Amino acid sequence: MSSIGKQLKFLNKISLTTKPTQILINPDKYHGLKLTFQFQNHNGHMGARKFWREYLPTLKFYNPELNIDVVRIKNEDRNNVSVPCVMEITSKTGTPLATIDMRNKRDSEIVTEFLGKIQHTVIPEEDLIKV
Amino acid sequence: MLKANFLQVTRKNAFHVSRIIREEITGAEGPIAQVSKLSKDQLKKRELRRFTIRKREAKMPATSHPLYMQVPQALRFLRAAEVGQPLSQQTINLTTLVVSEKGSPNLAGDIAFVTPLKEVKIAIFTNDETQMKIAKEKFNCYVVGGSELISKIKNGEIEVDFDKAFATPDIVQELGSVARILGPRGVFPSIKKGTVSENVEDLIKGNLGSIPFRQLGNCISVAIGKCNFSDRQILENLISVRKAFKDSVSTQKTKKPSILGKTILSTTHGPGIVIDFS
Repeated sequence: MSSIGKQLKFLNKISLTTKPTQILINPDKYHGLKLTFQFQNHNGHMGARKFWREYLPTLKFYNPELNIDVVRIKNEDRNNVSVPCVMEITSKTGTPLATIDMRNKRDSEIVTEFLGKIQHTVIPEEDLIKV
Repeated sequence: MLKANFLQVTRKNAFHVSRIIREEITGAEGPIAQVSKLSKDQLKKRELRRFTIRKREAKMPATSHPLYMQVPQALRFLRAAEVGQPLSQQTINLTTLVVSEKGSPNLAGDIAFVTPLKEVKIAIFTNDETQMKIAKEKFNCYVVGGSELISKIKNGEIEVDFDKAFATPDIVQELGSVARILGPRGVFPSIKKGTVSENVEDLIKGNLGSIPFRQLGNCISVAIGKCNFSDRQILENLISVRKAFKDSVSTQKTKKPSILGKTILSTTHGPGIVIDFS
């Protein structure tokens, strides 16, 4: 990243332009998220990776208390479909509150499903941080 | 199959032809040598002009930069950019641009971190049995040895992965054979740097828990923390880094001391954010 314009765009993508995950999550209720998927895209793991890359930075930015774990498993074999592609929402006590199957879904579909399963409040437009 | 082979062959040929044509056009063999068309006088002027620009930029306040941020907010952005990466890769680092006169010595020194990132690995070169014992038992140094250690480093049997090295005067002459291995990594013990002494104990005590830094090119870059450090820990480390940098500037042996310029906070995968360092 060299030009200042590009860097500002990158920073604003985290704090301003990624709309769906500009939410506040109650840190007393939720401990964090745990995502498990492949390094490779085959067998429908691409959506999970894109979800991590596109939406999780914003979620972390507005919820610094939330623990987000990403476990990526190496699997070069296309015929091996045993690698899970799931997201777990964990509570304070460590028990999973909800699981979302991310296989063969696009990143936007995963976001809508995620928002449906977690209690949240949307951050009003004037509270967003602009660089 | 045949078609693919044919395509491959033609592609290869095309590549060769284009290369030959290029060589003919430039009239040079191998990589094109870059020769400036400017005269010596003009080159000197250009260098001076660039130097004054860098000097002016270094003196400008950090708040005037479009990427300026307060440290806590910068850390929030950096942690967000680093989300989901393995912790070993989530290193926060600090880069400071240095504007120095031609010929002035590079900045170097030691930083005493409040919260260190890792244990400092110390190597001791000595043929003195008692000193060896002290280093091994009292301080649990990473590697301790005499002539045999030097020959092992020379043969590549021991990797040079330590951060600091000390020696006793009796072994200094033998160290010359590994100067080319230790020197570039900044771990060559020398009297001038004050890393050679009869009493190893004092040396280690004075340097325990501090990490060395040095200027490379026009900047100094050091790792100051991990993303899981708290804001307070990182700010404490930042203050100790600033103290070390300013000390190295004030002790620099030159008539015109170097100027510390723009300071950038960044992470392994994250963006660079300008902070106020002075």
